[in-house]
Amino acid sequence: MPYVIAASCIDTMDRSCIEECPVDCIYEGSRKLYIHPAECIDCGACEPVCPVEAISQDRRVPAEEAEFVADNARFFSEPLPGRSEPLGLPGGAANVGPLGVDTLFVAKYEDD
Amino acid sequence: MNASAAAPVRSDLLVLGAGPVGLYAAYYAGFRGLSTVIVDSLPEPGGQISAMYPEKPIFDVAGFPSVRGRDLVAGLVEQAARFDPVYLLGHRAQTLTRGAGPGITVGTDRGAAVRCRAVIISGGIGTFTPRPLPAGTQWLGHGVSFFVPSLQAHAGQDVIVVGGGDSACDWALSLQPIARSVTLVHRRAAFRAHAHTVDLLRRSAVEVITDAEVTRLLGTDALTSAEITGRDGSLITRPAQAVIAALGFTANLGPIRQWGAEIVGNRYLRVDTTMATNLPGVYAAGDITDYRGKVRLISVGFGEAATAVNNAAVLLDPGAQLFPGHSSDTGPADAGPSAGMPASTGPASTMQAAI
Repeated sequence: MPYVIAASCIDTMDRSCIEECPVDCIYEGSRKLYIHPAECIDCGACEPVCPVEAISQDRRVPAEEAEFVADNARFFSEPLPGRSEPLGLPGGAANVGPLGVDTLFVAKYEDD
Repeated sequence: MNASAAAPVRSDLLVLGAGPVGLYAAYYAGFRGLSTVIVDSLPEPGGQISAMYPEKPIFDVAGFPSVRGRDLVAGLVEQAARFDPVYLLGHRAQTLTRGAGPGITVGTDRGAAVRCRAVIISGGIGTFTPRPLPAGTQWLGHGVSFFVPSLQAHAGQDVIVVGGGDSACDWALSLQPIARSVTLVHRRAAFRAHAHTVDLLRRSAVEVITDAEVTRLLGTDALTSAEITGRDGSLITRPAQAVIAALGFTANLGPIRQWGAEIVGNRYLRVDTTMATNLPGVYAAGDITDYRGKVRLISVGFGEAATAVNNAAVLLDPGAQLFPGHSSDTGPADAGPSAGMPASTGPASTMQAAI
């Protein structure tokens, strides 16, 4: 039941959520932040601090942004562009630092 | 606390983590006739509930349609108090060593040692570390603190509380009648604290400054004032003899990582169906465990605590039965003092009353 970051984070990346997360499970891509679904403890500390309201519980993500639930998971379960291995379970964003790369879905995402 | 020179505290069982699962394990250990020591790095019991959401209603504890976090913790502490566990709060378990015999010794970061026969690790998401206040590093311990163990210690002071969660708001409200002045500084406009608490705060005499950060602390020998910088660049100064940084916590497995237990996904301990880890005499329960089908919920953790303690009881006394009998048959085994709060009993106990 993790929290999920959706479209409005793209090209905003305020990072206030990173300061709040008690388990360091919010990872930094190039255009967007991603919550690790297996590391998130569902505490909700990140949700109210997001200035663009990009964060919600996975079961409350607006229908038109539903793809972001799977996409947050894909960031970790599939190799990111330019990498041969998926991130898997790094056990904290500090262990890998900013990744500088997004999922294909986010990299190609265009606001309409 | 100077526990370094003290002899080890002795017990049958050591519970690492005073969250809901650890507290329930302490109750169950008492029910099985085992003496128990509980160690936690936080200064009050309740683990994640006390640190992160004391005001949140919890809806999935069997028998309680809704229970407020801090009320559940108080109930668990009272339930365990029947058997007089010894609390070592504010101690981080650091080392686990064995002698020639079956005994296990766990040392803490403050030099205390617990000599026991079995360990239950109910460490949840790990050991909590308060988030530092960057401007306050050099005043830590003499002006800047992370907790308010005693409201009276701030009598007559100008106090600045930093943060926007329940702890920050609760402390600001509780200190207001005692301190000379209380200022709450929060770097955002939105509060994470319970709406009702924020409402009380807004109507209180606490000065609330939002969209601002404490950027500098001033004083020569003692702290005298704080500079507060607004997001718009505005600078104000307030008198301050005490700054309480309630900026939340980060958690990670910490020193347990080095003990040789099998770790899954960098943050969980692998257990079998008896809740035993791969280390002899070391069990785990609650959010920290992992096995096929694991569900990380408080109700599951309570069950794991009972499983772990009963299996540990058989390990300690192979003649004992795994099934403990029903609590309703035996009644509250000769209840000791059933105070609502943990009692300090051991020589190295550094228990502080829960806030």
